[in-house]
Amino acid sequence: MPSAQNSAGIQTLLDAEREASKIVQKAREYRTKRVKEARDEAKKEIEAYRAEKEAEFKNIQHTQGNKAAETEADKEAVTKIAEIKEAGKKSQEKVIKDLLAAVFEINPHPHES
Amino acid sequence: MTAFIKQEAEEKAREIEIKANEEFAIEKSKLVRQETDAIDSTYQKKFKQATMSQQIARSTVANKTRLRVLGARQVLLDDIFEAAQQRLGAASKDAARYEKILTNLILEGFYALNEPTLQVRARKADYKLVAKALEAAAKEYEAKVGKPITGTIDEENSVADGSAGGVVIVGFGGKIDIDNTFEARLNLLRQSALPAMREALFGQNPNRKFFD
Repeated sequence: MPSAQNSAGIQTLLDAEREASKIVQKAREYRTKRVKEARDEAKKEIEAYRAEKEAEFKNIQHTQGNKAAETEADKEAVTKIAEIKEAGKKSQEKVIKDLLAAVFEINPHPHES
Repeated sequence: MTAFIKQEAEEKAREIEIKANEEFAIEKSKLVRQETDAIDSTYQKKFKQATMSQQIARSTVANKTRLRVLGARQVLLDDIFEAAQQRLGAASKDAARYEKILTNLILEGFYALNEPTLQVRARKADYKLVAKALEAAAKEYEAKVGKPITGTIDEENSVADGSAGGVVIVGFGGKIDIDNTFEARLNLLRQSALPAMREALFGQNPNRKFFD
């Protein structure tokens, strides 16, 4: 048997197998890497989305609006109260007279029974 | 032979790579979808809360304002009634006028109670005038109703001297009394006069829908 040739043939095969194994191994490592990349990229996109939503939310916030509304309402109240005092000064006397008239001017009449 | 082995390996590697990319896409989109949904619902809630607290704040402010204005109106009304109360005593100063008022007050009581005998309570200082008023009232009653009526002064129970005037007409053996003193009449007005006063002072209410 030409053993030298045989062992050379076997060696080549073994080398080929080793190379093949490396190729597959590389593919497997690629797969692992891709899984990690999926998580990392997802995380980035999620953060970006969250930041966008937060900015959107901040824009709609109206805490300043509340303060303005309060000062506005306060002004309105002061105006209305001044109006009431004015109305009082103007009509007070007449109203008092009318009240007193209601007390003193009586129109008694019999019941219909 | 070696080429075959290599080719097999490369095919397998390709399969693995394709699978890896598919899994990448699926996993990534699943994670993103899950989290963005959660974020969406969180922000929806946040937004709702913010809107609600804003509405609450607005409503509270509007309410406070309204109460301030109503309070001011009430103060004015109280002042007016106070002033009127002070001036109640004026009527009893003019004897002729006062007698006429007393007659009418007693008549009101007569018409309301419709009994043949009634008692009348008054300030001690008014007894003389009240006696005259009783006569006049009894005459008028008989003329209008056709039945006689006698009113007597209840000297055991008099109206307080501090009162501004007026009378109390008592019937049914003392069980029913009609308080026609000036203070009592003004007190009734505290309620019944409010709509008219409101209109006279502040004008009509533009929001009012029912007038009966």
